[in-house]
Amino acid sequence: MNFFGLGLGLATLLIIGLGFVWVIRGEYYLGYLWWPYVMGFGFLLIAISLFVPSVWGSALLGAVGASIVWGSTELKEQAVRAEVGWYPFNPNPKPQPPLVEQIKKWPAPHL
Amino acid sequence: MTFNWIGLVAAVATFLSIWFGHVGVRKIEAASPTIWLPTAVALGLGLALEAGALLTQNLYVSGALGVVGMTILWDALEFSRQHKRIKHGHAPANPNNPRHARLLAESESATTVNWLDRDPMGHVVNLPREEQSL
Repeated sequence: MNFFGLGLGLATLLIIGLGFVWVIRGEYYLGYLWWPYVMGFGFLLIAISLFVPSVWGSALLGAVGASIVWGSTELKEQAVRAEVGWYPFNPNPKPQPPLVEQIKKWPAPHL
Repeated sequence: MTFNWIGLVAAVATFLSIWFGHVGVRKIEAASPTIWLPTAVALGLGLALEAGALLTQNLYVSGALGVVGMTILWDALEFSRQHKRIKHGHAPANPNNPRHARLLAESESATTVNWLDRDPMGHVVNLPREEQSL
C-alpha cells in the first residue's frame, strides 16, 4: 500500500480550505487589484518546488502554489461578493499595489 | 541538476481539481434534475481514485490520483451546497431544470440573474428585492 497520494490529497483539501480564508481576508484588507502579485507568488512557489529535493516538501509547495494561483483569480469575484452584501465590505481605503494604473487596464482573470 | 517533478505534478493536479470543483460542479448541478445522482457518482469516482492512489507504486500517479480523488469526494458535498446557493440567489438558477424551476417558484431570493457577473465598483451595491439576505 502506498499512502503518499491519500496523504497528499488530504493535505490538499486543507490547503484549498485555507484558500477560502485568505482570499476573503486578502480582498478585505488589500483589495482585488493585488491579483498579479498574488498570481506571480503562486507561480514562484511552483517553480521553487522543482528545486526542493524532499518529495513531501516539493509536493506541498506545488499544491500551495497552485492554490494561490487559483485564489488570485477569485479576488475580483470576492470583491463583488462583498459589494453586494454577501460578505463584509471594508469601507476603509485599501493600499494600492505598485503599478496600479497598469493593473487596472488589464482584465482581472476569472475562471 | 535534476529537477524534482512531484511539486509540478501536485500543482497541476491541484489546479485542475479546484477548476473542476468550481466550474464543473456548477455546470453539472445546473443540468442535473437530481442532486443524489451526481453526488453518488462523485462518491464512487472519488473512492475509486483513492483506491488507485493506494495501490500504485508510482509516486507521481499516486500523488495525482490522491489529490484529484480527495477533491472529487469533497465535490460530492458541493452539489448540495450549490443547490442551497441557487435557493439563496447566490448563483443563477437554470429555469429549464425542473429542480431549479421549483426553487424559483418557492424561494423569494432564487433568481436567474448572476449577481457576480460584473466588475467591482469600489462601494456597496444594493441589489433589488431580498437577494442580499443569506
